[in-house]
Amino acid sequence: MDSLHLDQHISHQFNEDLELLRTKLLEMGGLVEDQLRDAVKAIETADGGLAEKVRKTEDEVDKREMELDRESITVLARRQPAASDLRLVMMVTKATRDLERIGDEANKIAKMAQALNEEGGDPGRGYVELRHLARNVIRIVGVSLDAFARYDVEAAMEVVRGDKQIDTEYKTAVREMITYMMEDPRAITRVMNIMWALRALERIGDHARNIAEHVIYLVHGTDVRHTSISDIEKALQQKS
Amino acid sequence: MNKFDPQRTSALVEASLKRRYRAEARFKLYGVTSIGIALLALVVLFTDIISTGIGAFRQTYIQLDVHYDAEVLGISDARNEKQLMIANVDGVVKAAMRARFPEVSSRGDRRALYSLVSVGATFDLQDELKQQPDLLGQHKTYWLLADDDIDSYFKSVQAGESYAGRVSEKQIEWVDALRDSGDIKTRFNRRFFTSGDSAEPEMAGILGALVGSLLTLAVTLILSFPIGVAAAVYLEEYAPRNRLTDFIEVNINNLAAVPSVIFGLLGLAIFLNMFGMPRSIPLVGGLVLTLMTLPTIIISSRAAIKAVPPSIREAALGMGASKMQMIIHHVLPLAMPGMLTGAIIGMAQALGETAPLLMIGMVAFIVDVPGGVTDPSTVLPVQIFLWADSPERAFTERTSAAIMVLLGFLISMNALAVWLRRRLERRW
Amino acid sequence: MSTTMNDTFLDDNANIPEQAVGAPFSDDAKIAIRDVSVAYADKKAVHEVDLDIGRNEVIAMIGPSGCGKSTFLRCLNRMNDTIDVCRVTGSIKMDDIEINDGKLDVVPLRARVGMVFQKPNPFPKSIYDNVAYGPRIHGLANRRSELDDIVETSLRRAGLWNEVKDRLDQPGTSLSGGQQQRLCIARTIAVSPEVILMDEPCSALDPIATAKIEELISELSNNITIVIVTHSMQQAARVSSRTAYFHMGRLIEVNPTQQVFTNPDHQLTEAYITGRFG
Repeated sequence: MDSLHLDQHISHQFNEDLELLRTKLLEMGGLVEDQLRDAVKAIETADGGLAEKVRKTEDEVDKREMELDRESITVLARRQPAASDLRLVMMVTKATRDLERIGDEANKIAKMAQALNEEGGDPGRGYVELRHLARNVIRIVGVSLDAFARYDVEAAMEVVRGDKQIDTEYKTAVREMITYMMEDPRAITRVMNIMWALRALERIGDHARNIAEHVIYLVHGTDVRHTSISDIEKALQQKS
Repeated sequence: MNKFDPQRTSALVEASLKRRYRAEARFKLYGVTSIGIALLALVVLFTDIISTGIGAFRQTYIQLDVHYDAEVLGISDARNEKQLMIANVDGVVKAAMRARFPEVSSRGDRRALYSLVSVGATFDLQDELKQQPDLLGQHKTYWLLADDDIDSYFKSVQAGESYAGRVSEKQIEWVDALRDSGDIKTRFNRRFFTSGDSAEPEMAGILGALVGSLLTLAVTLILSFPIGVAAAVYLEEYAPRNRLTDFIEVNINNLAAVPSVIFGLLGLAIFLNMFGMPRSIPLVGGLVLTLMTLPTIIISSRAAIKAVPPSIREAALGMGASKMQMIIHHVLPLAMPGMLTGAIIGMAQALGETAPLLMIGMVAFIVDVPGGVTDPSTVLPVQIFLWADSPERAFTERTSAAIMVLLGFLISMNALAVWLRRRLERRW
Repeated sequence: MSTTMNDTFLDDNANIPEQAVGAPFSDDAKIAIRDVSVAYADKKAVHEVDLDIGRNEVIAMIGPSGCGKSTFLRCLNRMNDTIDVCRVTGSIKMDDIEINDGKLDVVPLRARVGMVFQKPNPFPKSIYDNVAYGPRIHGLANRRSELDDIVETSLRRAGLWNEVKDRLDQPGTSLSGGQQQRLCIARTIAVSPEVILMDEPCSALDPIATAKIEELISELSNNITIVIVTHSMQQAARVSSRTAYFHMGRLIEVNPTQQVFTNPDHQLTEAYITGRFG
């Protein structure tokens, strides 16, 4: 039993179609989450094999994206969903795209890991910031998927706030990377790679936030994109 | 075994199939048999009526040389109306008969000889003389109308049947002699369609009754159709549903089942006794039949109005038509075929009705063809009844002939109804 | 949306609001309906409806069968008068004229508030006479040429002129279902009504004929207020600017159509348009 009553359609098949969309999205989310975790681990441990695995998973994620799109279009064409059903299908298509992008970014991180691995050398500078940011990003991606699984607006808000925090941390990290590069110009190539990875993580955070915003739209029907956190909170206050 | 096993089901169906087909065939046979019985009855009826009645359309005539002898006639000027009135035309006919059979001499034989020719022949010759006064003193050969007994005898001879009627052996001899010389034959019986009733069968015609029926029906139609339709429209469209209208409705339905003779009594009591209208006139007959036909017309008109689809009413009302506009523009045109059918059925019923008309005196013996609704007259079924009751043998075939005319009248009325329906019926 | 969180989702009566949720009122009302109830004998079919119908808007009435939406629609041009046992109470004001007033003459009212029915119901007359009927009974044309003009204009506006101009003398019933319905619309607009009520106008038509009628509706809505009752939610979504949801004789929700079909305010509306039990 969920708060959107997706299992209460007169048409049994419709229930199943929507449930399938939901599970497939969550599966894809799980896959992307693993991919992200592996990519971050690959860069931390300079594990070339793991990086390779990430790139393989990317193909699977792309396949799933196309599959989900097809399912969504089928539901749109056959059921002409309205209201919460319509919002769910729209949310799924959009979240699919965001997840696919997260996968892409994770892939980029894996590429950086490989580059760093091939380069070898001192693994010291920049890793602390990277690890810290990565932990936060992995967390909010997980929370955003949880928010969708439970239609949990509170969790979604946590993601939105988390993303804000990630943005700040990213800026700090970038500033530090610039300091490193100024200190030691020979390390520029390596630090640049880490910068790319940081940049990818920041983008992943944005996508997680998108997913969280879709969840809020799905549950409340309120479009909270491009809105300040305080305004979102105000809007949600009204709804409940 | 599974109840929903398709193989078992089809086996069972297979098994029951033959029985079902047999039952179906039996069922159809019942229907065919019923129709067969009805058709057979109809064929027997028609064969009987037609075979009996067909003779009435031909009439026996005898050829005689007539001498308009002024002496015998006892007149000097055929142009003088008064003289013509008293002219002894009968004597001329008798003289012609005597001239044809000079060997007949005894008084009794002569009387028998004279009775070969109908009295109608006398009237015909009188008319002829009136038309052509110059014939006075001249000779002319005529086919004169034969007496009904001679007519019956001659027709049976023609048909090769034995005849045992009111003809003497002498008369038979004379007829045979006439036949040998070709002076007796049958011709088309024009008189049957052009004259009224008569005590002499050979002179009796159907026209009086036919015109009487037409006049009576005209009165009935003119009165009952508008009244019936107006009543139906009011009851269907305007009347509120309450006890009073329910009561009226029940009574209308009951009236349709009241025996027609009761309507006759009603007419007798009201139109003749209370209002002092004359007896035997089509006007009163029409009034009585109107009372009788009204329930039929009201019921069928209401059914026709009810059958007008509500969507058409809604469309009209939705356009802002008033109720009257809706009824006149849409409901009545659409209901018209049904209402006409009801009216025609009512008219057909009225056409065949005898009992109520007997009560108001339309059973009288009326020779003249009525000229209007206030002239005494009779109607076809009453005429049939009267003739069927007459002792003369020749009336038997006239009865059947009259029935044929009545049936023809009915069929043409129904044909008119079908044609009207076709013309007025519209699909929606 | 918090109401959907509670456990009484399937319990209808518990969730029927006192007053319709959403935006039932309008600043520029063509017809203002206040506290309107309809009863057949002692059975109440419509309960205390308050609603404004905006000028030149297309408002759709949706709801399950027997929810009272058609009955409510028929109040607006007093078609319920034809049913003896039907009693309408409350106030229905069109431009400050009280419609629900026994003394009001319904004939001019029905010229101002036309109606198109579920089943195409052209009169069994010629196409020309069908369209000319209204102008004739209301005396809108003095000369034949004027009448010809009205007929042509009406048929043109109904998008039927090119299809029937060569056979105006043929019976209206000889047209196809969709053409018949457009003929009925032409017949209605021939008396230049201010409001047209449509009672499931496309329920008997195929999708192409339906699309033509819907196109016609949006064209007419430039200067005519249209109230349409429909069983097709897609149709309501396509043609209307506002949608009203009726449930068991009560007006549950009135909102801009876009909102009703993406994010309805009331759970009953949501349950109905998404095909859930309820």
